[in-house]
Amino acid sequence: MEFKDYYAALGVERTASQDEIKRAYRKLARKYHPDVSKEANAEARFKEVAEAHEALIDPERRAAYDAIGQRQERGQPFEPPPGWDSGFEFSGRGDGGMPGGGNADFSDFFSSLFGRAGMGERANRASPFPSGSPMPAQGRDHHAKVVIDLLDAYRGAQRTITLRVPVTDAQGHTTLQERRLDVNIPKGIRPGQHLRLNGQGAAGQGGAPAGDLYLEIQFQADPKFRVEGSDLYLDLPVAPWEAALGATLTIPTPEGDVQLSVPAGSTQGRKLRLKGRGLPGKQPGDLYAVLGIVQPAAVSEQATAAYRTFAQAFPDFTPRKELEA
Amino acid sequence: MSALNVYVTDGVIVEEHVVFSLADLCRACDAAPEQLLELVSEGLLEPQGSSPDEWRFSGSALLRTRTAMRLAGDLALSPAGVALVMDLLDEIASLRARLRS
Repeated sequence: MEFKDYYAALGVERTASQDEIKRAYRKLARKYHPDVSKEANAEARFKEVAEAHEALIDPERRAAYDAIGQRQERGQPFEPPPGWDSGFEFSGRGDGGMPGGGNADFSDFFSSLFGRAGMGERANRASPFPSGSPMPAQGRDHHAKVVIDLLDAYRGAQRTITLRVPVTDAQGHTTLQERRLDVNIPKGIRPGQHLRLNGQGAAGQGGAPAGDLYLEIQFQADPKFRVEGSDLYLDLPVAPWEAALGATLTIPTPEGDVQLSVPAGSTQGRKLRLKGRGLPGKQPGDLYAVLGIVQPAAVSEQATAAYRTFAQAFPDFTPRKELEA
Repeated sequence: MSALNVYVTDGVIVEEHVVFSLADLCRACDAAPEQLLELVSEGLLEPQGSSPDEWRFSGSALLRTRTAMRLAGDLALSPAGVALVMDLLDEIASLRARLRS
């Protein structure tokens, strides 16, 4: 287990005041919050920043952490306390979700210093009753994310997801249970939609029903197609003569190649719609081919001559008309 | 760790087929009713029905509510702040979509 430098994560000195720590956290939290940020590893950065803040903002925790930090500096590598059970991890997100989907999945390093109690309130809410029958309470709903390919959305797919869920028994012992679910991903699902699996959330107490499991569906970025809602966009390069004179082209779609007519007189950026070839569904989306005119370089004498002839064919063409006005 | 394998076939697409009552949405988003009442007051959520008991939220409220709760919790935003951020996020998303297509 590696030592984590929480001061570096927040970009503050070890001598920073509590105010400075809070300010640094607020700025970085805004910057990397996954709902707001488009930075590449926003979610990971946000978790680091949030964990650093949790560790340093409480004076007792900060003192404990500083003591470990001093030992680090003297060359004594960090070791977790004896009896630390590393099999007992609350792993991060990916295909497994934390109950409630909260941001309470701190690292092993944090947990080894501050215990599971260091986690946010939400994760600790389901406290067991010591004896007798518990009050009936419906189980909590759980959330997880599933990433699928574009083709999966077209054809439907089956996905196996693994959840690691803490389960507390009547004696108050919490163990991690692993659950595997085989889920049908329905044809035509859109990015960002959720599937609800009834009764697959947390177990209920006192005979009450279990909660539900919500799966958020995310699409893996496709190399060819952009997805917007139920529509697909394909960047389609064409030669200048194909755009000017028109052409019949073979283009890919998620379900195979199709023929597309490019009308004569097409210009850069023109969108050609293939109705109903977007994501399937009651109201199927469309596929748009967006024309991008690409020109060959004048690398040979023949090409150069061709370009000069081309230019001579358009003596009245004024590409910079608007600039001159 | 013990492994419990559960074979499940189908789920229901929330955005297309699910309608939430206030209590359902609270449970799905791990929120207290007061918190959702705030979001409705701010106009972030627009349920059908005239009183909280009768409110019916469309499936799309799930994502919206969870995002609002995360923003409020993680960034210490007031309800009005959350509403403003989400309006701006909507606008940014639509601008990005226009840029891409």
